[in-house]
Amino acid sequence: MELTVLCLSFLFFLLIGLPVAFGIGLACIATFIVEGLPFETSIQMMTSGMNVFSFLAIPFFIFSGELMLHGGIADKIVNFARSLVGHWRGGLGLANVVASTLFGGVSGSPIADTSAMGGVMIPIMKKEGYSAAYAVNVTTHASLSGALMPTSHNMIIYAFAAQAATGMIDGHVIKGVSIGDLMFAGLIPVFWIMVCMLITAYWQAIHFGYPKREDGSTKLEVFPGWNAVLRTFIASLPGMAVVGIILVCILKGIATATEAAGIAVAYSIFLTVFVYRTMTWDRFLKSLAKASKTTGIIMLLIGVSNMLRYQMAYLEIPDAIEHALLSATQTPWLMLLFINVIQVFLGIFLDMAAHILITTPLFLPLAIQMGVGPVQFGMMLLLNCALGLVHPPVGSVQFIGCAIGNVSIGEATKTAWPYYLAIFVAINIVTYVPVFSTWLPTLITGHPVF
Amino acid sequence: METLSAISGFLSKITMYVACFCLACLLSVVIYGVVLRYCFNDAPAYVEQVALILVISVAMFGAAAGVRDATHIGLDSFVNLFSKEKQLIFLVLVYICSFAFAQFLLFGGWAMGLSTMGSTIPTLGISEAYRYLPVVIAGALISIFSIEHILALFFKRKVVSSWN
Repeated sequence: MELTVLCLSFLFFLLIGLPVAFGIGLACIATFIVEGLPFETSIQMMTSGMNVFSFLAIPFFIFSGELMLHGGIADKIVNFARSLVGHWRGGLGLANVVASTLFGGVSGSPIADTSAMGGVMIPIMKKEGYSAAYAVNVTTHASLSGALMPTSHNMIIYAFAAQAATGMIDGHVIKGVSIGDLMFAGLIPVFWIMVCMLITAYWQAIHFGYPKREDGSTKLEVFPGWNAVLRTFIASLPGMAVVGIILVCILKGIATATEAAGIAVAYSIFLTVFVYRTMTWDRFLKSLAKASKTTGIIMLLIGVSNMLRYQMAYLEIPDAIEHALLSATQTPWLMLLFINVIQVFLGIFLDMAAHILITTPLFLPLAIQMGVGPVQFGMMLLLNCALGLVHPPVGSVQFIGCAIGNVSIGEATKTAWPYYLAIFVAINIVTYVPVFSTWLPTLITGHPVF
Repeated sequence: METLSAISGFLSKITMYVACFCLACLLSVVIYGVVLRYCFNDAPAYVEQVALILVISVAMFGAAAGVRDATHIGLDSFVNLFSKEKQLIFLVLVYICSFAFAQFLLFGGWAMGLSTMGSTIPTLGISEAYRYLPVVIAGALISIFSIEHILALFFKRKVVSSWN
C-alpha cells in the first residue's frame, strides 16, 4: 500500500509537470501519512539532508561557474582553441570541442558551458559555413564533459548519494566515496570524451564538406603560428587554472573540497575583477542571483531526496530491485549493461541532480556486488546522466544549444546520432575498463581506488 | 490582483536580496575559516555551524524565488501532448500542489521550530529553532507566490520576474 502511494503519487506529480523537488516531497509526505509516521520526521529529514558541511561546495561551484560565465573567460579559451586547431578541416568544430572541454573545467556545468561556448561559437560557425545543427551538436555534446570535471557540483551530489555505500572489492572495504578521488577519476574520461568528440566532429566536417560558405568556397583558416598559440594560451591560462587550484588544494591537504570550492570562487572574483577586468557590478549581481536560485533548486532537491531515501530504505525498495535484477542475471557484464540501459532510459525523464539522487541508492549496492566500486560507478552514472542532457524530452543542454543556434530540436537531433554513439562508446569503456576511471586517482592519492 | 502582484514582486525582490546576501556571507565565512586556520593556526569552531545555517537560508530563499520566476525543474513533455486549454488546467494543478508543499514547509518547519526551541546549536549558543526559520519563511513565501500564479492564470495575466 505504502509503496503504491509513493510510486503512483510521484508519477502523478511528475506527469502533471510539478517541479521534481516538490513532487518528491509531496509523494514522501503522502507516504508518511499513510504509514502513520509523525509529520515532523519528514521536515527533519529534509533539513538534515541539506545540513551537511560538504554540500557547501555546491553553491560555491555553481557561483564560480556563473562568475566565469559572466566574466568573459569563454572568449579567451575560444581564441586559444581556435589558434590551435582552427586551421584543420572542420577547424571551428574542432576548436569548439577543445574550447567546450576546457570551459567545462572552468564552469563544471554543461549548461553554463553551452550557454558560454554556444553564445560565442555557434554564431561564428554559422557565419563561416557550418550548418546550425552541426554547430549546436558539437557545442552541446562537447560541453557534457563539464559534468565530470573537478568543478562539477554533480560530483558533490553523487558523493552525498553514495555516502552510505558499503561492500568489499578485491579484499578492500568500501565505505562511501571520497570527493577527491572522484575529482581525479573524471579527468581521463573527460579526455576520452574530447577525443571521441574531435573524431566525430572531424568525420562530420569531412562528410558534409564543412566549412561550406554561401559562395561555395571551402577556404580553411590560416594557422596563426606557434607564437600566437602560446600567446592565446597564456591569456586563457589564468581562467583554466581554477581546475588546477582545486586539485592541488585537495591533493596537498591545503583545503577540503568545500573550502577548495570557496577558494575557487574567491579566485574567480579576483580574476574577473582585477586580471581580466571584465566583471561589472551588474554582472556580479547577476551571477550571485543566478547562483542563489540554482542553489535553492538543487539543495531543495537534495533535502527532499533525503526523505525519499528514507522511504526507499523503509519500504525496502533497493532490496526488491536488487532481487529482481539478480534473479534476471548474475553475470557482471550483463548486469552492468542492464544498469546502463535503465540509467539511459531514466535520463530521458529525469533531470541530472534528481537522477543521481534517486538512482544511486538503487544501483550502487548492486554494482559493488558486481565488482564495480563507487568511484567507477560514479563515472558511469554521471556519463549516463550527461547523455540525458542532450536528448529530448528533458535535454536541457540541447534546448539551450538549439535556442542559441536558432534551429529546431528535431533538426539538430537528426544529425546527432554520431555524437550519441561517441558518448555510448565512452560509457561502455568506463563501464567495462575500470582502470579508465580508477588508475589516475590510485596513482595520485597512493591508495587503491575502486 | 494588482495589489497581490505588487506585494509579491516586492517580496520576491527582497527574497533574492536576502538569498544573495546569505550566499556572500557564506563565502566570506568559509574563506575566513580557511585563512584563520592556515595563517594563524586558529580555526574558529563556530564557522561550520554559521555556514550550515546560511546554506539552508540560501537554499530556502533561492527555492522560494524560483517558484515566482518559475525556474524549478519539471517534466513538461506529457503536458505538452494536450491542447493549450488543457495545459492551463495542469498549470493550475501544479500551483495548487506547490501551495500544498508550501504548507508542509510552513507548518512542518513551525512544528520543528517549536519542538527544538529548548536545545541550542553547539558553538553558537542560539536556539536550534533558528535552523527552521528559513524553512517557515520560505513556506509562507511559496504560498503567496503560488496563489499569485493561480490568480494570474485565472485573470490571464503574466507574472513578471522582479529580478532580471
